[in-house]
Amino acid sequence: MQHVEIENVHKSFGSVEVIKGIDLSVAKGQFCALLGPSGCGKSTLLRMIAGLEAVSSGKVFVNGADVTNTHPAKRQIAMVFQSYALYPHMTVRQNISFSLDVAGRPKPEAAQRTEEVARILQLTDFLDRKPAQLSGGQRQRVAIGRALVRSPEVFLFDEPLSNLDAMLRVQMRFELAKLHEELATTMIYVTHDQIEAMTLASKIVVLDAGTISQVGTPLELYNQPANKFVAGFIGSPQMNFLKGRMETVAGREVRLELAGSGSVAILARGGVEDLKPGELEIGIRPEHIRPCNPGDAEANLSGRVELVEHLGNSTVLYVSTGSGRLVVQRSDDLSIRTGDTIGLAVDASRAHVFGADQRAI
Amino acid sequence: MTSMSVGTATHPAAGKAPTIAGEKKHTRYIVAAVCIFLIALMLFPVFMSLLASIKTPAEAMAAPPTYLPHALSLDNYFKVYDYQVGLPVYLFNSLAVAFLTIVFCLVLAVPAAYGLARFPVPGKEILFVVLLLGLMIPYQALVTPLYLMFSKIGLSNSLVGLALIHTIVQLPFSVFLLRNSFEAIPKALEEAAVTDGCNSWQTLWRVFLPLVKAGIVTVVLFAFIASWNEFLGALIFMSRESNFTIPIMLVNVRTGQHGAIDWGALQAGVVIAVLPCIAIYVLLQKYYMSGFLSGAVK
Repeated sequence: MQHVEIENVHKSFGSVEVIKGIDLSVAKGQFCALLGPSGCGKSTLLRMIAGLEAVSSGKVFVNGADVTNTHPAKRQIAMVFQSYALYPHMTVRQNISFSLDVAGRPKPEAAQRTEEVARILQLTDFLDRKPAQLSGGQRQRVAIGRALVRSPEVFLFDEPLSNLDAMLRVQMRFELAKLHEELATTMIYVTHDQIEAMTLASKIVVLDAGTISQVGTPLELYNQPANKFVAGFIGSPQMNFLKGRMETVAGREVRLELAGSGSVAILARGGVEDLKPGELEIGIRPEHIRPCNPGDAEANLSGRVELVEHLGNSTVLYVSTGSGRLVVQRSDDLSIRTGDTIGLAVDASRAHVFGADQRAI
Repeated sequence: MTSMSVGTATHPAAGKAPTIAGEKKHTRYIVAAVCIFLIALMLFPVFMSLLASIKTPAEAMAAPPTYLPHALSLDNYFKVYDYQVGLPVYLFNSLAVAFLTIVFCLVLAVPAAYGLARFPVPGKEILFVVLLLGLMIPYQALVTPLYLMFSKIGLSNSLVGLALIHTIVQLPFSVFLLRNSFEAIPKALEEAAVTDGCNSWQTLWRVFLPLVKAGIVTVVLFAFIASWNEFLGALIFMSRESNFTIPIMLVNVRTGQHGAIDWGALQAGVVIAVLPCIAIYVLLQKYYMSGFLSGAVK
């Protein structure tokens, strides 16, 4: 049995079903991210694991035990809230040791454990301060400390970095990754930020409208998205989608005629034998399109450059083509200027084809 | 174990009060002048009472009255102190009734407000409206039926009975105020307490009550002042002199010889009656802290 298991869990609020039968398992010591846009049900799923939200049907197991109807405090989980949820009338020390105090643990033991956690999180100097006297990053570390002190089986994080500024978020992300490496405790992390999920998690669960869209490692999701939703959600800038009409199929190679442009041959993943001629959609990541001269043989498309963004480490082009606007990203500093007409060569081996049901072919 | 190495600056302490951009200096002077005028208007009767109380009894009763005392005297205070069963008894009665009113209000209003604010009580909105309807019923309309009821169960002419009357009057407002205070607490704090192992009572006692301190203090303040100043109920329910409260004593003490009004004794009584109200207000004022939840979330 896996460390955390969710079996066919449903959740409805009145007549609105927000979680539509989810099955999920997280191995011991794994860092699993629940990723999805706002309203996809990721926080609700986490809250059901925590016991803060009752499941409408289905079962939740932690460490082999059915905890579906168990009180949150007895699930051996600890949760870090998006809003920190620190007790404002208590000092950092009291906040961290609160759960031990409630559990009736001996005072010397609680004090020692609190000091230890404070040392790990570099909060020793702030132990006698109240939350209002701390910065956002310090408050977040107290929130983590409050979870850490309980030595839980599973850590649950509900968008813990979303209230921090961009720089601090990167720092805290690094610290969380280090913490997980050291503690090797199971962590389930809710986020809408794909970069957070990709950098922290070894397993990402992409949720869409209360269902699991895809489960995989960060690179699996990036290289082999199961459907258009995952393809569009993972990666920044977002994947380009072009409408096309299937011309021929030879082996796994599907040739498509692009609306208002040329044609392109894409290597499909398989299952193309029974493919009927019709509308398909191509997905190409911005980094898999290369600018070239419009007349070059390798140019699949041509278009006019609408905007050039020089980001230092890369250049982003917005190109208006007959098939719509394409975003192109190159790691080199390009000399292309706004208004230029350029050709675009698609790396067909890294492009994706999506059928009418939006599933990758 | 790893060591986290994020170094972040502490928030600077709140500095001076912010000024509103474009606000003209003379506007602030005008506002200040209006405030001072209003304060003077409010304090004038209190000040006149104080002056009247330290005049000699004869001067206090003089017509036309004098503004400033010609001679200072504490005779009025001595008279009030020795009046009938003595001021300490009346003070004790008033304090006891006010204290019991506060206790009853808190014991009943805190769980009621907590339940209405944080628990999925079926029909709680209707319950709350019904509770608020109590605020709209004139107190005078309740006094007679309550008197009959309390007489039957032996609660008339008792301090506990009078405190219960004051609690009945004060309870809807207390529940209303505390329910709003409880509702203002972020849900995440309650959930954090639950995951930390608190049951409902522990959450109330250890997390919620310290956070609604300002609301509790307001309830205490209002219950005290309402009970301390209440006259009609005390007049109707208390017939034994030894059970009279300060407002009843004040009505009695003003009666001078041959139907004249003893203004000096009355004003001395007024000053004594006002002092606890000012004291409790000043003592509890520090709990009216703005942004008490600051730092809890975000």
